[in-house]
Amino acid sequence: MEKKRNQTNKRDILLITILLLIVGGLFLYIQVFQQTDEANYAHVYYGSSDQPLVTIDFQKSKVIRHEEQVVPNDYSGNYPLIDESSRTITLLGDYEVSGIRQIVVIQYDFGFKTVQIIEEQSPNNICSREGVSYGKPLICLPNRVRVEFETNDDSDFTI
Amino acid sequence: MKQTRKMILIANFLAIAIVLNLIESALALSPVPGAKLGFANVITLIILYIYSFKDSSALTLLRVILVGILSGRLLGPTFYMSLSGAAFSLIAMGILKKTNFFGILGVSVIGSIFHVFGQIGAGIFVIGSTAILYWMPLMLLLSIPAGIITGLVAKRFISVWDTWHNKIE
Repeated sequence: MEKKRNQTNKRDILLITILLLIVGGLFLYIQVFQQTDEANYAHVYYGSSDQPLVTIDFQKSKVIRHEEQVVPNDYSGNYPLIDESSRTITLLGDYEVSGIRQIVVIQYDFGFKTVQIIEEQSPNNICSREGVSYGKPLICLPNRVRVEFETNDDSDFTI
Repeated sequence: MKQTRKMILIANFLAIAIVLNLIESALALSPVPGAKLGFANVITLIILYIYSFKDSSALTLLRVILVGILSGRLLGPTFYMSLSGAAFSLIAMGILKKTNFFGILGVSVIGSIFHVFGQIGAGIFVIGSTAILYWMPLMLLLSIPAGIITGLVAKRFISVWDTWHNKIE
């Protein structure tokens, strides 16, 4: 019994060591070889759609509005709202505070080619705490709003 | 008598699991949208060892649903991620325990890793994009120490349980 326990203990430690090596190696590999090219585009999506509502074109310094966000009739406003002077895009998120859906405000910067979520309501505020992004996807899960970067014309930003 | 005791104990374990889960959501330890490290898994693991896979599945399913109701996120995007993570980790732990090849610690770490796979897998569907894969290496790296902590707690608990339970039986 004692012998068997020692054996499983040894196997456990071996298993954990191997897993740590694999995962640690993968993590370091990705950290080192991660795409560091500047993004050419950033796409703003709502829901689980793969069609962006808005595309920020960093090369031409332009914001392209593809389609309107579908929102229930009780909400006024023509989302996504694009404000060129304050460089923000406003969408209606899915997260509700006392039954009212809250807005998500995204700020972009053509010079630095960055995007940041500056205002959003959610329990942990993961996406706004993420700060300025140069290529890391921004996902506001409770709001179902996301921003993904694209470096080339065809390929999406992937790890 | 034995059945009543078991039922009451499982109800208590369920309450502990729910509290652990709610605390973890409130602390926001995970840097990944919607994902958790799964410290409430410790109860799933304990029940798996002291009772059975069936009891553990029932407890885990109830935990996920009740936490969904209590936090108001039932059927929301994060709910599906929790459910899938819990199911993946439970099945992986159940199978691995059956083989008797690894101890509690090994089973716990594998469960923790599958918890990440389950959550990220559901996340791809919920978000509708593979963008969440960006965080997978980091999540996997964090899940190993989380699994070790869970496993150590469960191991200690089960050894205390064995002495106590044998005494009252």
